Amino acid sequence: MDKEIKKGKEHPLSIVINNAVRIFTDLGFEVAVGPEMEDVWHNFDALNIPKDHPARDMQDTFYIKGQEDKVLRTHTSSVQIRFMEELIKSGKKPPFAIIAPGKVFRNEATDATHEMQFYQIEGLVIGEDINMSNLKGVLSHFYKKMLGEDTNLRFRPSFFPFTEPSIEFDLKYKGKWIEMGGAGMVHPIVLKNCGVDPLKYQGFAFGPGLERLMVIKYLMSDIRPAYHGDLRFNQI
Amino acid sequence: MKVSYNWLQNYFKEKLPEPEKISEGIVFHSFEVEEVEKIGNDTIFDIKILPDRAHDCLSHWGIAKEISAIFDIKIKDKVYKIFSSQETKLDIKIENEKCLRYMGRIFKNIKIAESPDWLKECLNTIGQKSINNVVDSANFVMFDLGQPIHCFDLDKLASEKIIVRNGKIGEKITTLDKKNIELDESILVIADENNPLAIAGIKGGVKAEVDENTKNIVIEVANFNPTTTRKTAKKINILTDAVKRYENEISPELCEKVMNAISDLIYSLAGGEAENIVDIYPNKKEQKNISLSVDYVNKRLGSNFSKYEIESVWKKLNFLYTEKDNIFQVEIPFLRLDLNGKHDLTEEVIRILGYEKLSEVLPKLNMSSNESSFSNNIFSKMFLARRKLLDDGYSEVMTYTFRDNGEVEVLASASDKKFLRTNLADGLKESLKLNQLNAPFLGMKEIKIFEIGTVFLKDKEEMHVAYNEKENIKEISLDEFCKSISDIDSTNIFNEKENNDTLNFSSVSVFKQWSIYPFICRDIAIWVMDKEDEKKIKNLIIENGTDLLIKEPYIFDSFSNPKTNKTSFGFRLIFQSYDRTLTDEEVNKIMLQITNKISENKEWQVR
Repeated sequence: MDKEIKKGKEHPLSIVINNAVRIFTDLGFEVAVGPEMEDVWHNFDALNIPKDHPARDMQDTFYIKGQEDKVLRTHTSSVQIRFMEELIKSGKKPPFAIIAPGKVFRNEATDATHEMQFYQIEGLVIGEDINMSNLKGVLSHFYKKMLGEDTNLRFRPSFFPFTEPSIEFDLKYKGKWIEMGGAGMVHPIVLKNCGVDPLKYQGFAFGPGLERLMVIKYLMSDIRPAYHGDLRFNQI
Repeated sequence: MKVSYNWLQNYFKEKLPEPEKISEGIVFHSFEVEEVEKIGNDTIFDIKILPDRAHDCLSHWGIAKEISAIFDIKIKDKVYKIFSSQETKLDIKIENEKCLRYMGRIFKNIKIAESPDWLKECLNTIGQKSINNVVDSANFVMFDLGQPIHCFDLDKLASEKIIVRNGKIGEKITTLDKKNIELDESILVIADENNPLAIAGIKGGVKAEVDENTKNIVIEVANFNPTTTRKTAKKINILTDAVKRYENEISPELCEKVMNAISDLIYSLAGGEAENIVDIYPNKKEQKNISLSVDYVNKRLGSNFSKYEIESVWKKLNFLYTEKDNIFQVEIPFLRLDLNGKHDLTEEVIRILGYEKLSEVLPKLNMSSNESSFSNNIFSKMFLARRKLLDDGYSEVMTYTFRDNGEVEVLASASDKKFLRTNLADGLKESLKLNQLNAPFLGMKEIKIFEIGTVFLKDKEEMHVAYNEKENIKEISLDEFCKSISDIDSTNIFNEKENNDTLNFSSVSVFKQWSIYPFICRDIAIWVMDKEDEKKIKNLIIENGTDLLIKEPYIFDSFSNPKTNKTSFGFRLIFQSYDRTLTDEEVNKIMLQITNKISENKEWQVR
């Protein structure tokens, strides 16, 4: 009774990532990528996080033994720098809108909501008049598509060296406010570091984690089984 | 930082809003509040001050100023005692430019005593121990105004001279907490003419410690270079409340107010005679002014704020400003080291007016999109490789990047796995073993899995694809793998209709966490006359399987006997508990019940 080959089951994180990317590409975003092992320039310096500054302690970083200049990227924000450097190098200019899903690493103890490796989805939109209301519009659109129309978004003040203003955003989902991630208007210094004229161009960036979204979407109690190679996890 | 509600109240004439309101105000206009705890008749807020505001907000005064702006209530002006002029022999010499300002003042004939109850209580509520009136005063003023202060016992100094200099190789200091630190030239110290007395900005030494017999003191209110203070603190591994403030940079302008505050407090608690202040301040900071227009603010925020709304923010923050033709000139307070440009002031506007004032506007993105770059992108290759493998019946797994061996090692990991994987195969082998054990649970005859992920070789990282063929793992680079998938149109991976299923997200499914206890698998085969009975039997099994039957029974085998016209259905049943390991006896009982129920139907025979 040989049937057609039954389709395999996709990992839930891949499902979340593909859907996220689709929502953004439908809006006109392009996908960008960057390496998981980064140099200090792309992960820190260019993002206005100077050496020997307390802001570097905001994330627990994996440094590479014997290669002082290298780290496992602590955020997908490094892709912002790579993309803009490439753009300028190839003689192009803003406007542009990119989305960069990717794995990032933090050197911290693991528990049900924290892993040493996880996924972020970076967004970066730069143009002559891309503003903070647009940031709110894009994030709100994204989460409504992901989790349903009856979600609400709110901003709270925060600090990231590479955005100004900087915010954390929460989502109201099923009656509860949940912290989702950080975002803000790209700091003029970051644009300048990549060769983009900050007097002419402005825009926003965001970088929420995707595990959080997966956990909320599917009501999971623990993110750790995601990396156990366990097919019982592929239920979706 | 721990902040006391009652302490904050001292800054205001009017009664502050309730602690819950204060907390909410801070969360939506300034900082994250990590905890609100009631202690006695006080409430303690644990406020997360990030590096941009550590300059001015690691203090009750700083938080009081925020509250004043958020709730638009005026801060009381504090008046400190003015001392009559009294000549001093105190001599201060700065030999290294890493000391940005040094204010010193001698107090003679003071009386060391226990601190009064109000002071003990203040320190206690924010988790600080009381020592004596002078040490407590210094501590209190730091948590009040954000500036570290140190007091030396003057009689333990070689003379009335203080020198700020580099440490010397071979020099040692014993800190107040009895640690012996070897000094070198990179470490800035406060010294008398013979010995180091303190590690600048980090920790005092025992040599000139203020104790119960102290009569005369030197008060230090100084400012040191943030980077070198941070480096030294890391090097000698001492992290103090003083370090936390200095490493984030505080304005040297703060010293003056703090010297007046600490003098006032020590005088009121320990008496004595204050001599004149000695102030060495080589490079006085200049007043910063930032100009920004109403248009700039609205362009960056996408808002429509009027001149008056923006003006209200400067007023609430107590910033001095002028305005002409919709352009503001704002005078930046010395302590606000975070405000350096128009973009910074724009943040002040929106956080004080409130982020809820921003509307949600989708931008029009008619970007000069570059389709070809997208199709060459690793992301689309991953997407296509994944789809190909899924179509071929493989399921996707993800395993850890960290392994216990490899070519690239990370420093100081929180885990024992310090190496980055050089292949996917090792992880996939483990995954295969695990999933084969669970095959009955998964309802799979054969386990077919794959992973797409990055591996790290000595001098490069590479995206790989790995999958199993029976027990063997095949692993190749993503690029190679994609070459083997012909007939694909990768120009726009999402536009194909066939993908609509996997990308349709509207169906809500709920994840079920599995039990950590082992499952028991049982098979039952039944002859039936009518093939349509499959469903009936399945339902009967479910009805009698109890809660321990945790998955829907599935057919693992079926065949018909052409002679008898009967069909055999082999069902597989999975039993598992969420709170214990099941025994065979328990499951046998359930199986017996199921068998009996099936046997009641004469057309069915359990084989």
